[in-house]
Amino acid sequence: MTASQTQQTKFTQLHRQPASRSIPLVNTKNQAITATGIKMVFQSGSEQFQALKGIDLEVKSGDIHLLMGPSGSGKTTLLSVLAGILTPTAGKVCLLGEEITRLSAAKLARFRARNIGFIFQGFNLFPALTAAENVEVALSLKGIRGRAARHQAQILLEQVELGAIAQRLGRDLSGGQKQRVAIARALAGNPQLIMADEPTAALDSRNGHAVIELLRQLAKEGGCTVLMVTHDPRIKDVADRILYLEDGCLINTPQPKGDGMIGSQTRY
Amino acid sequence: MASIARKNLLEDIPRFLVAQAGIMFAVSLVTIQTGIFNGFTRTSTNLIDGSTADIWVASTAMAHLDLTLPLPVSQIVQAQQVEGVERAEALIIKGPIWRSVDGKIEPVRMIGLDPQGELFKVVNITQGSVKALSEPYTVMMDVTDLKTLNIQKVGDGGELNSLPAKVVGFTKGNHSITSNAFMFTSLENANTYINSGISSNLYCKTQKGSEGLNCTTTYEKTKPAETVQTSPNATPDSAPTPKPLAGSDLISYILIQAKSGQNLQQLKQRLETALPNTRAYTQAEIIDWNQKYWQERTGVGFVLGLGAVVGIIVGVVIVSQILYSSVSTHLKEFGTLKAMGASDWVIYGVIVEQALWMAVLGYLPSMALCLGLGTWTAATQGILILITPMTAIAVLGLTVVMCVGSSIFAIQRVTRVDPAIVFKA
Repeated sequence: MTASQTQQTKFTQLHRQPASRSIPLVNTKNQAITATGIKMVFQSGSEQFQALKGIDLEVKSGDIHLLMGPSGSGKTTLLSVLAGILTPTAGKVCLLGEEITRLSAAKLARFRARNIGFIFQGFNLFPALTAAENVEVALSLKGIRGRAARHQAQILLEQVELGAIAQRLGRDLSGGQKQRVAIARALAGNPQLIMADEPTAALDSRNGHAVIELLRQLAKEGGCTVLMVTHDPRIKDVADRILYLEDGCLINTPQPKGDGMIGSQTRY
Repeated sequence: MASIARKNLLEDIPRFLVAQAGIMFAVSLVTIQTGIFNGFTRTSTNLIDGSTADIWVASTAMAHLDLTLPLPVSQIVQAQQVEGVERAEALIIKGPIWRSVDGKIEPVRMIGLDPQGELFKVVNITQGSVKALSEPYTVMMDVTDLKTLNIQKVGDGGELNSLPAKVVGFTKGNHSITSNAFMFTSLENANTYINSGISSNLYCKTQKGSEGLNCTTTYEKTKPAETVQTSPNATPDSAPTPKPLAGSDLISYILIQAKSGQNLQQLKQRLETALPNTRAYTQAEIIDWNQKYWQERTGVGFVLGLGAVVGIIVGVVIVSQILYSSVSTHLKEFGTLKAMGASDWVIYGVIVEQALWMAVLGYLPSMALCLGLGTWTAATQGILILITPMTAIAVLGLTVVMCVGSSIFAIQRVTRVDPAIVFKA
C-alpha cells in the first residue's frame, strides 16, 4: 500500500465514523440544500440594497457545488444565508431536511455546530493556539472533549498531512498549512455539509491543488456535500455543479458534466 | 479544549504585563487604603483592648478617648459603693508636651495608670516592668517613637510639662495613627505632670511721653505646689515627689470590674445614676464609640474610601481597555466561533475567563506586595496596615467583580459582531 493509499484509507475510515452526539438529519429527498425564493436586502440609512433577488436552488448530497460570479454579485451573501449565518429577508432554506430559516438563533447555532464545517479564505485560526488546539476547539463545539478530542484532532491533522506539526502555533504556520488546519477543523465531527469561501485564494498553486484534492476526497469518499465560493478556475474540474451569480441572480451556464442548467432564474 | 482565554491573554506578553501592572496598581491601592483604614480603626482603640474592665465610666461630654472632660477622683469612691461593683480604678489620658534633651518639643499621649492595678495593663512590654512606674517621674514608651522623642535606651530622659521624666521601659505596638506618641506612667506621676508647666507673667507699664504700653513677658518653670511634696531624693533640679491622688484631683476614666454574674446593662444604669454627668460604656461599646467617631465624624474614612474608589475606577478602566482591545484583535476568531456554532455564552465564557485570569494574576502579586509593605511600615514606621484574611478575601472578590464587570464592554463588542465578518478576507 502506498503512502497516498494509506492516507486515503485513513480519511475514509475517519469520515465513516458515526458523528458523536450529533443527530444526523435524514434527507429523504437526497437534497442536502434546498433554497426557495431567497431575497436579501441590506439597509444602509435610507437606502436599500438588494443583494439576492429571489434565489431558488437545490444541491444534492455528496456533490461539490461552486458558487462563481463577479465581485459584488452576492456569492458570499448567498453562502452566508445558506449556512444559516445570515437570515434572509425572504424565502426559506432547508439543510439536510431541516428548515433552518425557522430555527431560533440558539437552535441554528447548534445545527451549524453539528452539521456544517466552514473553510474561510482568511483561515480564521486562533493564532495563539496550536494547530491541534484549533481543531480541538471545533470538536469541543460538537461535544467532543479531552483525550478523545486530542486523538481525533491528531487524526484529522494527519489526514491533511500536518500530523508532524500539530503542536505548532497557528501564527507560525504557512498559508498552505493554515488552510489545511482550517480544513481539518472543518472536518471535525464529520459534518455533512462543508461551506467554503475562496479556500484556495490565498494559496500558491501547489497548496491550492492540495486543498482542491482534499475537498474532492471529502465529497467523493466522505460523502460530504461541498458548497464553495470561488474564483479559482482550477476547481471547476472537480465540481459537479457550478452556480453563477450576477447582480444577485443565478444565471444559466453550461455545467462541467453536461447536466444542463440549474437555478430557477436564468439570464442571457 | 485549550483555554482560548489564557492563550489570547499570554499571546502578547508586553500587553499582558501592562494590563497586569494596571490591575496590580488598582488592587494595591484598594488593599493599602483598606489596610490603613483597618489599622487606623484598630489602633484608635488599642488602649481599650489592653483593659480588662467590664465598664468604662466617662464624662457625658466624651467625644473620643483622647477628648473628654475630667472626672473627680472622688467619683471612684462613689463608684465602688455602687451595688455590683467589684473594683474601680482610675485612668488618666492627657496630652502633655515632651521636651527631649536636645530641646525639641513634641506632644505626647500620656496614659496614667495604677501600676498595681488589675483593670488596665500595659501590653507588649519589650523591656522593663510596669512596677518601675511606681517610681517618681518614670515613664515607658513605645519603641516606634524613640527617634521622635530622641531616646536611645532605658535610663534616658527628657521633660514632660517641664518636669523630669526618666524612661524605665519600652513597649512595641502601642502606637496609633490618630494620636501622638504613647507614654505610660503612674497615676501619681501623670497627675503631677498635668498640674505642672510653664507659667507666664505679663508686665505692662505706660512710659512717659508715649501713648503706648511697654510690656514684658516672663516665662517661669513652675512647680505643682498643691500636688507635690518636696523630697530630699528628688531629681537634680529638685522636682517635688508626686503624692497620691486626692479626692479633688481629676482623672479621665473610671474602670469598673463587675461582680461575677452582674447584668452589665443594669450596672451601667446604676453607675450613671450614682455618678452625675457620666456615661457608662461596656468595653465593646466604648470601642464602637471611638471607631465611629474616627470613621464618621472625621474625614478619615471618607478620604481612605475615596482612595479605594479611585483604585477601583483605575482598575476598571485599564481592564476594560485591555479586554476590549484583545477582543477587537480577535474579533474574526470570535466571529468564526459563532459561525461554527458556538453559542453567545461560549464566547462570553472565553472573555469572562480572560477577565478572571487577569484578576487572579493581578491579585496574587499585589497582595504579596501589600503584605510586605504592611510588614515594613509596621516595623519601621509604626504604621499599621492591617490586611486581615477577611480584607484579603474581600479585595479578591472586588478584583474579580472589577475585572468581570470590565468585560461587559468587550462582550458588547462581540455581541454586535456581524457574523458575515468571517467570510471577509
